Amino acid sequence: MTATEDRELRRVLHDTLRSVPPSPAPLEAIIRRSKRIRLRRAGAAAGAVALAGIIAVTSLALRGSPQPYVPPAAPAITAGPDGVFASGTADGHRWRLAVQNIADPGYSCLPAIIINGTDADPVNPDPGTGATVALGSALPGVGFGFVQVPADVNEIVVNGDAAVPAVTVAACGSRYHVAGFAYPLSKPLRVTVANPPPGWPPVFTMPLVSTQRPSTHTTPESPGLWINTISAQGETDSVALAWGTLPDGQAWFIKLQFGPGGDCYQLDGSSSLGNNQMGYCGPVSTPGGPETITALPLGFPNPGTGATGYALQVSPGTDQLAATLSNGSTEPATFCVVAGRKYAAFIVPNPLRLAKLTWFDARGQAIASTTALPRYGYVQFQP
Amino acid sequence: MTNPRDELAAAPDVISSEGREDFSAFAASRWPGLVRLAFGLTGDRWLAEDIAQTALARAYVAWRRVSQADDPDAYLRRILVNASHRRFRRRRVTEQPGDPPETPVDGPAELVGDRSAVLAALSQLPPRQRAVIVLRYWADLTDAQIAATLGCSPGTVRSQASRALARLRESPALMEGDDR
Repeated sequence: MTATEDRELRRVLHDTLRSVPPSPAPLEAIIRRSKRIRLRRAGAAAGAVALAGIIAVTSLALRGSPQPYVPPAAPAITAGPDGVFASGTADGHRWRLAVQNIADPGYSCLPAIIINGTDADPVNPDPGTGATVALGSALPGVGFGFVQVPADVNEIVVNGDAAVPAVTVAACGSRYHVAGFAYPLSKPLRVTVANPPPGWPPVFTMPLVSTQRPSTHTTPESPGLWINTISAQGETDSVALAWGTLPDGQAWFIKLQFGPGGDCYQLDGSSSLGNNQMGYCGPVSTPGGPETITALPLGFPNPGTGATGYALQVSPGTDQLAATLSNGSTEPATFCVVAGRKYAAFIVPNPLRLAKLTWFDARGQAIASTTALPRYGYVQFQP
Repeated sequence: MTNPRDELAAAPDVISSEGREDFSAFAASRWPGLVRLAFGLTGDRWLAEDIAQTALARAYVAWRRVSQADDPDAYLRRILVNASHRRFRRRRVTEQPGDPPETPVDGPAELVGDRSAVLAALSQLPPRQRAVIVLRYWADLTDAQIAATLGCSPGTVRSQASRALARLRESPALMEGDDR
């Protein structure tokens, strides 16, 4: 093999595999699966346990099993001026999904799908994408899903029997065709398309959201988990939010990619030992919603090596953000405005931990603070 | 009779809460790389996530040992590659090709074409040859490391690589090199 061939193969492989966008690590699902492995090893009857979650959804999609009869599609429905395309009651709580502008005042219109007014996901310009989300303690046991479908699809079917109409919504000068629903988190999710147009799969692969059962052990997934299929194509703003060098000599930078995948952060580190990378996508905050604090651990967590990057979107009124570390020192956060939204980022070198975050306004007054901070993934905080 | 689901829910965590925290940070930091490696081995985004989950779940079961290993990543890679091979064996029997479309990727049309060509060319390789190519050119492993991952000799790695490259040369999109 020539050196040119070698370089070329390396380049195309790196291009191809790096194009797989980072998704949140499904830690609860991993741990649940480990229990199954352990039970199988112990000779228990776990072999009979049906595989849930992504496995079930994926295998159903891959097998392309026959679908139940789906009645002819109903006439197209158009949402009202508030952009609400789905609503209902789950466990006695009202919920609603809408397409609305989430840009801060004075910035370009930014359409997004909003759940209950607090969490958002930028709308993809093209059909074929969807997301599942759980709001955790705000609505325990309930997940929400939405799919953006082609204009000639009038409904989808959830778990074989619930027909959900696709609704046309106008926002920011464009029209979107979306179907949304609520579902019990305790069951696998299966979304089929009624009468799919040519070229479209009859089954949408929806990632399964699972939230922790109530316990004393708190992980960042507790407030809710957003899993975007991230199959979206469209315009993405990519900006380096913060950068520097760690005490161990490792150069780092934190990058934001804001677009159809949501708020996706990436921490890159490089040293003489090689390059390392960690990425995470989280829910986008609405102007009145909670702030999503994302942690990006990089490297094996041995004391003294590696670091955890932090990134979050802050309200326009935030002038400074102080990160207090476990040794009492303060780490400054760098601000950056991207697509009319204000972001902050900083890094905490191991073995130090982030102990507290404090928000300050332009007069230097503390306006909020929290010690409920993630070591990986994200938590949401309402200042 | 015990309901398997109850039994599952009642199964204790295999590591302490402190260990679980360390594992969580470890898993979160390795997840993107594992998914990408598995994607290279399978060409399927969701299958890749499934296999990456399997690898991490097994690492969790053996976390005390894995966390003290010289190279926990080597352990993960070995599980992941083995899991992907098992998938290939199963796919041949139970799954039909063609469903659903690949995850679209961002970027100019030319790049998307490149990536599709890579996936198409890789999909033509037998699983072991494909693993050698991905581990060598994506994971940047040495032949000795690849041999340890696949459980074979470095000589076998070299012969598998040679055969794989010969087949890949038949894919013009992969080997045009300086023409692009």
